Amino acid sequence: MLNENKPVNHVAMVGDRTIPPKDARFIEIYIMGQRYKVPETLTILKAMEYAGYQFKRSCGCRGGICGACGTFYRILGDHSIYTGLACQTVVEPGMILAQTPFFPPNRADHIGILDDKMPPDEHIATLYPEIFRCVGCGTCTRTCPMGIDVMNYVALFKRGDVLEGAKVSFDCIMCGLCVVRCPANITQMEVGLAGRRMAATQLIPRSEVTRKRAEQVRAGRYEAMLAELGQMDREKLKERYTSREREPNLSEPGEWMPKDQSHL
Amino acid sequence: MPENLTHVPYYPGCSLKTKALGYERSAMDCAKTLGFEMHEIATWNCCGASYPLTKDNLMGLAAPTNILVEAEQHCNERQIDAQLITLCSFCYNALKRTDFAFKEDSAKLETLNAFLERKYQGSVKVLHYLEYLRDVIGFDNLAKLVKRDMSNIRVAPYYGCLLLKPKKEIGLDDPEEPVILHDFLEAIGCQVIDFPGQVDCCGSYLIMRNPEKVLELSHNILQEANDYGAQALVTACPLCQSNLDQSEGERHGSDHFLGVQGMPIFYFTQLLAVALGLDTEQHQFEKHCIDPKSVLSACLDDDVGESQ
Amino acid sequence: MSDGYTPEMLDLIKRVEASRPQRLAQARAGNDFPAMSMEQRKEVLNQFHPDYTTEGRRALGIGPNKDEVLPEELVDLLESRSIIEAVNPDLSEPDMETDVLVIGGGGAGTAAALTAMQEGCKVILATKLRQGDSNTVMAEGGIQAADQEPDSPYYHYLDVIGGGHFTNTHELVAAMANDAPMIIEWLESLGVMFDKHPDGRMKVRHGGGTCRKRMHSAGDMTGAEFMRVLRDETRNHNEQIKLLAFAPAIELLLDDEGKCAGAILNNMETRTYLIVKAKTTIIATGGTGRLHYRGFACTNHYGATGDGIVMAYRAGAKLCFMDSVQYHPTGTAYPEQNVGLLVTEKVRGLGAQLLNIDGEQFVFPLEPRDVESSAIIRECLSLDKGLITPTGRPGVWLDSPMIDLLHGSGTVKRELPAKYIQFQRFGIKIAELPMLVYPTLHYQNGGIWIDEHSRTEIPNLYAAGETSGGVHGRNRLMGNSLLDILVFGRRAGKAAADAVKAGIEPGTLSLAHVSRYGKTLSDTGLDRGVKSPMILPNYAIDEVKKRRWDVKSPVI
Repeated sequence: MLNENKPVNHVAMVGDRTIPPKDARFIEIYIMGQRYKVPETLTILKAMEYAGYQFKRSCGCRGGICGACGTFYRILGDHSIYTGLACQTVVEPGMILAQTPFFPPNRADHIGILDDKMPPDEHIATLYPEIFRCVGCGTCTRTCPMGIDVMNYVALFKRGDVLEGAKVSFDCIMCGLCVVRCPANITQMEVGLAGRRMAATQLIPRSEVTRKRAEQVRAGRYEAMLAELGQMDREKLKERYTSREREPNLSEPGEWMPKDQSHL
Repeated sequence: MPENLTHVPYYPGCSLKTKALGYERSAMDCAKTLGFEMHEIATWNCCGASYPLTKDNLMGLAAPTNILVEAEQHCNERQIDAQLITLCSFCYNALKRTDFAFKEDSAKLETLNAFLERKYQGSVKVLHYLEYLRDVIGFDNLAKLVKRDMSNIRVAPYYGCLLLKPKKEIGLDDPEEPVILHDFLEAIGCQVIDFPGQVDCCGSYLIMRNPEKVLELSHNILQEANDYGAQALVTACPLCQSNLDQSEGERHGSDHFLGVQGMPIFYFTQLLAVALGLDTEQHQFEKHCIDPKSVLSACLDDDVGESQ
Repeated sequence: MSDGYTPEMLDLIKRVEASRPQRLAQARAGNDFPAMSMEQRKEVLNQFHPDYTTEGRRALGIGPNKDEVLPEELVDLLESRSIIEAVNPDLSEPDMETDVLVIGGGGAGTAAALTAMQEGCKVILATKLRQGDSNTVMAEGGIQAADQEPDSPYYHYLDVIGGGHFTNTHELVAAMANDAPMIIEWLESLGVMFDKHPDGRMKVRHGGGTCRKRMHSAGDMTGAEFMRVLRDETRNHNEQIKLLAFAPAIELLLDDEGKCAGAILNNMETRTYLIVKAKTTIIATGGTGRLHYRGFACTNHYGATGDGIVMAYRAGAKLCFMDSVQYHPTGTAYPEQNVGLLVTEKVRGLGAQLLNIDGEQFVFPLEPRDVESSAIIRECLSLDKGLITPTGRPGVWLDSPMIDLLHGSGTVKRELPAKYIQFQRFGIKIAELPMLVYPTLHYQNGGIWIDEHSRTEIPNLYAAGETSGGVHGRNRLMGNSLLDILVFGRRAGKAAADAVKAGIEPGTLSLAHVSRYGKTLSDTGLDRGVKSPMILPNYAIDEVKKRRWDVKSPVI
């Protein structure tokens, strides 16, 4: 129960070992076809480690963002194939697990994607003509563990809307599960990546402000004032630190300026 | 501008966003004057263009079904009658025939729904823009809204294939003796040039592998239309428009063909916009191989009001 | 269990909802909970920050940092013998030779490889797991850079050094603050989709301890976006940058003059070693979260076992500030599946407040991280105003629903999409319900000592990124880690390339330094039979460990 036996030291500090609740039941799962008993509430990743697997492949950030642990599975008695990230998906009784330590993706040569010799829509079609083999079945969308409408971004690239396709594909963690299942053998995640890089450099305006400041840096504008700071003793530095003005939280972009502009 | 425009869900298809942008823009501008507004559904994919040749090829129905599901959702969210308007004959054909396949065989729909993990309930009515003009607006009413005098232009209606065939599944008009484009042209006040080649095939996607054939087929259609006195053609299909327009462009220099002045190939909505007195600046006349302005100069010079 | 909060927790959330209208009104009026004074900061740190106690620490008995009191888990690793002693590699015939060997394929390593390549060098990039498997991808909230009009590297410097309690190394801070705008420009030119206004102006916000809004971001997956793009760029040059994945380095090679001359890699799949002779070597192996100091959960990736630190130390490189570890104040405390995972500071930057069990604020939401963490630990363990989860973990509320109320409906979903999904998976909608958080082990503030060109004291050995130390002093501010790795990664690549171009001839390859180190361990009785580097953490339960053939050796 909450707040009984208030601890004075850290309780439950056991690193990455999950603590199953005291009354946790044990359930049966199948790891690559072999049956194991694991406590429920564990993620697939932790259940496999509980069973004794030590990952080399198929384990990365353990936090749902790197795409290393894409997993296919079925559940006993259910013909459907499900997908999920091992580090985020909780085990269920009868789960039959298979990971994809590697799957060959098709990656075109992205070497020219940043120059603007070819308009982005044409460029995508040239690098990845197989997107036009898309049959619109939607398998990729159903497979994606991040909830991205993959078919939609492929459709957007097909009709030349590279900017919108880039935005729709943005959350992609490049796990490759869609690639494995696509009947048209498209490598959606690489198409998305190429599209995003093109959109960022050719369809989204550049930050002029950044460019200007980078120029000033290259011209050595800040060297002297930074050197000056390096000469100061700790007390002087503290004084400068505590007396610095703070930009208000709700200031309008590009409008607020500090009172002291001598170090800009 | 009429208030309370009727909300009509719209499926563009790939061509309408690229090569046939003028078709879309003119259609949308005309719609507003006629009292409705075309709303592109939020998420859509390519319809696949070619409807499958075999009944069992359910994979070929996946793409159109996804579109119909999106349209159904769009309409349910807004609590309006489920319908979907299209402009491209290919898309119209694919969607209409998919819809028909489901009405004929509900097990097919069930299978598709299971595969797609979506629940299309079969409620969407697939419409062509021409259909909307005929059945909802009415050609009589259309005639009343015409502002420019089109009577000096002689226009031949060119139907192509996919707008009308197969009859049982499309049912828009008689495939051998259609009248819908004729009636349309009459409503907007043009001189209608009836000619036999109006339902001959332009060559369609043979343009990819056998452009010579397309040149030959298109030439026949254009020559015949010319012989019957047409100054221009109208069509409802981006591929027909492209095939005819470009074929003409290719042969235009030659003396054997059409003399000095070419016949522009209009999207019917481009001509509609002219008739309704709208500003046609954005309707991409400049993208045509054969410049339409030469033919329209008669009616475009006058000072008819701009679009509101 | 995908069914969200327990009934008891939902009940407690009512207190949060009750206090919210007033807190919102105060926030809109610009009245924040008061920030701490320098004295108050010192007090809370001294009493409640885990680094400031001697529990779980002991003096290191060997090497350049001998006698320094450091976390036990780290000391165990530094006072250990090398795996390489099990084999007797023939160093006379290296398997590969290159100009620049980069060890570690995260943000720093990849930036170093790209830069060295651009400068004309041949590069080998050796990574333990896949390229990109690193803490870089976990960095969510943003990257700092003084590119906006009211800002300048001068203020950035002050923020960094103040946040680091004035312990930071001047040259490193100056280098980082100065280079930052160029880094943003570089990333933008490579195709990173920064959050921008429609006219192309960067969207910037405050982070903990900043005086100007200079946090740039790309959704809530800033590091992942950088890594995707940088990795893709590396692949465009796979002739010049040879990637060896699943090939961690086991030991550095020195030559007979004590200069670094490459490393021995281990192919984890064929379980064979590879001798790589390199004119210059760059260590970019990241942090040490997976050592789980004092049993804290961590936000780090699977391979963050400090391998580079161990190898460099054995080669004689000194470390700095290794006693200082950053706890991220808001690690997930619930549900159990997500424990330890980072909840980005951006959430607080967007206006979410930290609340105790009564739904009251108890700290300014954007104190520097160590101060913020200490305040939370104090609230839970001393003032007894934290919650306890069903599995016994402590936590406080992070009131994320405030974000939509302050910035408009849909803001949470738009600005924090990955976080949104991560909680929704378990039935918690963070736009409607607050999150439960507690400090989690996050970042290694210190590391291998480097100068402003990323050079270590060992000739031809460089280090960059989390594995190096000095730039953040004793406490890193949010958004400076993504900056650190790219600034010093590029500097390492450049410095290594310059050195190569000036002419380097590695002498006879040698592992003598490893034998010497091992001998010292035995002679001084420090050898406990631990082998290092750790390579990968071992999460087997005791039942399984009992039945393993060789428990003490890392799996290689």
